[in-house]
Amino acid sequence: MPLAPEDASITFDQLTLDPYPIYRRMRAETPVIRVSSIQRTFLVKASDTKMVKDDPELFSSDDPRTPMQPAFRAHTLMRKDGAEHLRERKAIMPALTPKAIQANWAGLYEEFAAEYLDRLPKTGPVDLFTDLCGPVAARILAHILGIPEATDEQMMRWSQELIDGAGNFAWRPEPFEVTDRANAEMDELFAKAVERVRAAPDASAFSVMVNADDPIPTSQIYSNIKIAIGGGINEPRDALATLIFGMLTNPDQLEQVKAGEDWGKAFEEAVRWVAPIQASSRLVTRDTQIRGFDIPKGDTVMTLQASANRDEEVFGDDAEDFVVYRSKNPHQAFGNGPHHCAGSHTARRTVGKIMAPMLFERFPNMRLPDPAAVNWRGFGFRGPINMPVIMG
Amino acid sequence: MVKVTFVAADGSETSVEGEEGASVMQTAVANDVEGIVGECGGSMMCATCHCYVDDAWISKTGERQHDEDDMLEGAASEVRETSRLSCQIKLDQSLDGLVVHLPDEQF
Repeated sequence: MPLAPEDASITFDQLTLDPYPIYRRMRAETPVIRVSSIQRTFLVKASDTKMVKDDPELFSSDDPRTPMQPAFRAHTLMRKDGAEHLRERKAIMPALTPKAIQANWAGLYEEFAAEYLDRLPKTGPVDLFTDLCGPVAARILAHILGIPEATDEQMMRWSQELIDGAGNFAWRPEPFEVTDRANAEMDELFAKAVERVRAAPDASAFSVMVNADDPIPTSQIYSNIKIAIGGGINEPRDALATLIFGMLTNPDQLEQVKAGEDWGKAFEEAVRWVAPIQASSRLVTRDTQIRGFDIPKGDTVMTLQASANRDEEVFGDDAEDFVVYRSKNPHQAFGNGPHHCAGSHTARRTVGKIMAPMLFERFPNMRLPDPAAVNWRGFGFRGPINMPVIMG
Repeated sequence: MVKVTFVAADGSETSVEGEEGASVMQTAVANDVEGIVGECGGSMMCATCHCYVDDAWISKTGERQHDEDDMLEGAASEVRETSRLSCQIKLDQSLDGLVVHLPDEQF
């Protein structure tokens, strides 16, 4: 069989600014395609991305060419499989289960939600992305992780810097210089957190890992916390911002969601429509084929959740539209298989069950006068980078 | 084929035919049964395929394993004696007619 066709024209910047038309064309014409600017074989069909994610033996997370390694200065669990991945994941997992979120963090988040909404003006223009979506996601995450002394600004900056480093597929030097400084700052704070939770255990992720009967190495505890910072702010932040955009640009659906209290459905549609985590790399461990193309051992495939979530075969003719009341919504925004997103429950509980209904109840006359003024960015991680609304 | 009936929290029933060797979770997901999510695809890395085996079928579906217990500890809904991760129940002819009840939420 032939190798997949190669595309030398698509640039990283194009994928960052407006990837969806590119993915639509790929789904129609070249569902398996090597993209030379990213040095990955793109898989854009939902059935292929799911197949890859569900088969960690053939498609390993241990990608030796990942920019994540220098960005996080760690071999994170995101790039491990099997027993090693399981051990590190199980270390942090007790702090992030639906039950733990509900028992330990939902109440606190409700307080933060109310507090952060109180800060917003009752009328006039507000950028909800910078004034609400980011800060409140940062605040609850700092507490869940066990570093409440980190400021919102620090949390958001570290998160963005880690994301920019992990998404540095062009391997530019500057993003890694930035993450080196971020890592040093985080490590300093983490050392204090370790001492604190040893002295006074609590329900936080740090405490759960540090005080475990058989703890994983400190380096991997730090790595897990950084993964949570890197992926635990943008996901609820961007999910909330996208949900706000989707609701304000579809007022008929907003009325229906309010009447039916269907914020959970609105949340799932928001993350389907724009997956906060758009792409994942997998190393091919032995020669295989996908859709009639040879995928040789050593190749790196990239599953495009962004594209799978808009696959017309799964979501129909309105796959590119924001539609809360789909008959079904089997999106891959949180991945699937052993590496599905460990923070998905936090995002669902905080955004879908608490913040979204609270926000729209408090500000029933909120509107988005110029949807075109919203700027969307990101290839590996994507969302709006502003949300200029009028509160009332 | 093996018949499985899923009883939703609201009492509605959905009966589907699963293949021998497939798990109850795979059968639910493949047939769009709402109420079973199966986020981790059956690698016992989440508890979103939590189900309650009907009393009449408990002795046939087998015991919960230790790892399964660990994962169920984090389930969104109440864990009962009859709780199982449906990804850990493999279908065979002895389970034809199996009935499982679904929790009110998976996350």
